[in-house]
Amino acid sequence: MRLALREMHRRPGRFAIATVILTLIAILLMFLGGLLDGLVASSTGAFRAQRADLVVYSGNSRNSLERSRIEPDVRHQVESVPGVTRVGGLGSVQLGGRIPGRGARDLVPTVLFGYELAPRGLPSTPPGAGTVYADDSLRAKNVVVGTTIHLGPARSAVTIVGFVSDTRYSGQGTLWGSLETWRQVLDANRPDARVGPGVVQALVVQGVSLGRAGLPEQIDRATDGATTTLTITEAINALPGVSQQRTVFNQIIGVTVVIAIVVVALFFALLTVERTALYGVLKAIGASSRTLFVGVVLQAVVVALIASLIGVVASLVLDALIPAGTIPFVATPARLLSSAVVLVVAAVVGCTFSLRRVLRVDPAAAIGGAP
Amino acid sequence: MFLALREMSRARVRFGLLIGAVGLLVFLILTQQAIEGGLVTGFVGALRQQSAPVLVYSVDGQRTLQGSVIDPGLEAKIRGVSGVAGAGWIGQSTFTVRVDGGAESDAALIGYEHSGLGDPSGLSAGRRPVGPTEAVGSAADFTVGSRVRVVTSGPSGATGPVFTVVGLVKDAQIQVTPTLFVPWAGYEAAVKAANPDATTVLPSVIAVRPTSGVSDIELVRRINAASPDADALTRSQAASDTPGVAQVQQSFQLIFLLYGLVVPLITGLFFLIITFQKAAALTLLRAIGARSGALVRSLLIQVLLVIGAGIVIGVALFAPLTLIRLGAITIRLNPGAILFWSVGLLVLGVASALVAARRVLAVDPLEATTGGGGL
Amino acid sequence: MTTLAESAGTFDHALEMRGITKVYRVADDEVVALDHVDLIVASDEIVALVGPSGSGKTTLCSIAGGLLSPTDGSVVVAGREISGYSGHQLTDFRRESVGFVFQTVNLIPFLTARENLLVVDEIGRRLGRVARDRADQLLAELGLTDRAANLPAQLSGGQKQRVAIGRALMNDPSLVLFDEPTSALDSSLGDQVVRLIREEMKARGTAAIIVTHDDRITHYADRTVHIEDGRIAE
Repeated sequence: MRLALREMHRRPGRFAIATVILTLIAILLMFLGGLLDGLVASSTGAFRAQRADLVVYSGNSRNSLERSRIEPDVRHQVESVPGVTRVGGLGSVQLGGRIPGRGARDLVPTVLFGYELAPRGLPSTPPGAGTVYADDSLRAKNVVVGTTIHLGPARSAVTIVGFVSDTRYSGQGTLWGSLETWRQVLDANRPDARVGPGVVQALVVQGVSLGRAGLPEQIDRATDGATTTLTITEAINALPGVSQQRTVFNQIIGVTVVIAIVVVALFFALLTVERTALYGVLKAIGASSRTLFVGVVLQAVVVALIASLIGVVASLVLDALIPAGTIPFVATPARLLSSAVVLVVAAVVGCTFSLRRVLRVDPAAAIGGAP
Repeated sequence: MFLALREMSRARVRFGLLIGAVGLLVFLILTQQAIEGGLVTGFVGALRQQSAPVLVYSVDGQRTLQGSVIDPGLEAKIRGVSGVAGAGWIGQSTFTVRVDGGAESDAALIGYEHSGLGDPSGLSAGRRPVGPTEAVGSAADFTVGSRVRVVTSGPSGATGPVFTVVGLVKDAQIQVTPTLFVPWAGYEAAVKAANPDATTVLPSVIAVRPTSGVSDIELVRRINAASPDADALTRSQAASDTPGVAQVQQSFQLIFLLYGLVVPLITGLFFLIITFQKAAALTLLRAIGARSGALVRSLLIQVLLVIGAGIVIGVALFAPLTLIRLGAITIRLNPGAILFWSVGLLVLGVASALVAARRVLAVDPLEATTGGGGL
Repeated sequence: MTTLAESAGTFDHALEMRGITKVYRVADDEVVALDHVDLIVASDEIVALVGPSGSGKTTLCSIAGGLLSPTDGSVVVAGREISGYSGHQLTDFRRESVGFVFQTVNLIPFLTARENLLVVDEIGRRLGRVARDRADQLLAELGLTDRAANLPAQLSGGQKQRVAIGRALMNDPSLVLFDEPTSALDSSLGDQVVRLIREEMKARGTAAIIVTHDDRITHYADRTVHIEDGRIAE
């Protein structure tokens, strides 16, 4: 073990090549992962922030918030299901916001939410009419407490009274106000999407199932199919683009990991060839194949760890350098750590390709010494 | 050639692994290229396929069809701009539908007032709609003769309008959703059925055709000058400026760059290592009279063979993907992209081997006498 | 091969070195490796070049074989004056006119015995069929026919040396240079190899210079030349 590490210490050049390539692969893995995380986070923040167990959409809205409509009578039905403790309405409208100091055509895309049941970070009583909390991402647009944003063609005015973090929706910054505020803004700006009094787009529900069936089934049965109820996790995964992005990116990441394995196998095979004489001598003086191979694995792990470390640093630098709002990249500790672990495992798997060659080295040949 | 091939055939594992790595990388690059193309087409294909040369959004719409609304005042200003030969309404919304009585699915409806201003420029099958209950559908999602019923958000079973697909158009989705082009009356009926609280159905965008002698760009400029609420774009601008498209393209370009770098890095370093490892053999060959040019040529032949084989494998792995659909995205075999990457990777691969080539050229045949020329 | 036709009867000596001097400049010092050396080798003569290590024998051998250019003096091999040749010209010269058997690395590790002989044709004139026949003939003469498809790693020290000799003879050289051909072999094997060398050289009437520090094998040579401190000792 010490021998393996000492070799790396004395002859770093030998391992430099494998390290360089693995570093690039580590950066690739972390970048792809960070891109996926950023895309998903920017789409799902508003829902992840909800302090609820379930989301109720209308029956044929195909789990789309924009197309869903919950009438007051359906809401009553949901509220009366045993096990349901709290129900809140949710409404949204996507509009361009005009912020003072920006050009007439320079609109900021926002989504205004009206809520009843407060998501994390928001006050349990929604702000008064015409006032809203803004998602942190809007700070980059020079929004501060007290800024009045004019939404949509009707220039509906809403004033910022506070900020909340990680509540974006569909990649856009969000504004959070009361249902009343939402309805006013919606009616003024979207005549074709106007809703009647008491109508919301979806319901967020807290509760537990009191029967044998799950609470979602009970609710849908109680409304006679007028609703589709999902757990909050299911609702997040059903947000547009989320599951497709996950699938596509995870497949790309998967193939990249396979490439990492092949690359480690390749470069460690090259390394092993160079050291055949060394292994012969070691075996001649009594080292077992197992010892030698553990040394090789150790070296692969060290190379992968160094590559991961540089990858982490590069990802953090990239995170800092990328201007907010362009590429949706975010470097989370979970992703960086999991990428490093995956890379180390790939390195270990890759170097097992050299196992046969190490086993085959004949100690007797070493003593002959002929080139 | 002989030396190059002999060495490769005697070292199958290492060259095999290298070719495998290159092949997988080529596969990934081609797949990602196709996904990017498919995504962008899925987002804005309908905009590219529709017939209006100029589209006027409201500034508040932020260049999305669904977000834009044109009120009558703005419409009047647009029609009043000199150079406007014809104008028509276009509206877009997404609905829940049942196709031929099947399960519920999504469909984006694009309603157009006049043919030639918003309906598809060319069809891949069938004919154009005649009445308000006929539609042209995106070819990947519909077949001629399908009946598409708009499902309302009320109690299940409530009726919405039914459209019959009479024609198909390729690469014509919007928002990565199956898309139907319908005459305005049909679109209006669908919007009202889906949201009974709605009062008026206003157009999302005004489609405009310039008079002869006025270019599309010039008309765009004039319309934008006529009103600060108007956001006029040419057809191609409308597609490329749709929010999200630039982001997708930027992200993918960074990914391509990184993956593209990995290939020459791997080949370059591989050949450098094996050149060092066979230094003794190279020294011997030079000593017995092999020209250094011949040895470099042998190296480059190996590089070309490795990358060529990798490209073949990568394309072979990629080709079957074109037969399936990744969700709603169609993966298309793009010969142009394959050619571009093949040439690019071959050039990069040869460039990366230059470091090894320099090492080959630096071999001193005299070293053969001093004990092998190893390092 | 055409060199055979060319060389037959057109020169007396395989090698004529006159006034050969080789000086190396190391920092501020001058190292004189060879000092006005003369050496004539007849067209079918075997010369043993003997001297202690550092005597300049390898340098002399390198200059004779076109691996090195002298600082001063003239080198004529088979009627060709090579002392002024450029690197390119020396490469071509080595390929066409001389054969080498080195002390250590002699064979390409990823080529079989037969392929190691054919590599000469590969890097040179590409005579194809003629070359293949010649290679097979040489292998038979050297007793290696059943080892023709083996890689160097599968050959013994003595067999490897014989393959090297075969390769050195492939281009029908005017002069073959052997640099310590037996130093890696035990004395009986070394004896066999040098005897083989003599047989092959004499059978073809090819001149050879065998560099060695081992006095015992000199009786296989026609003449022994002693070299010490860069000078021929008579």
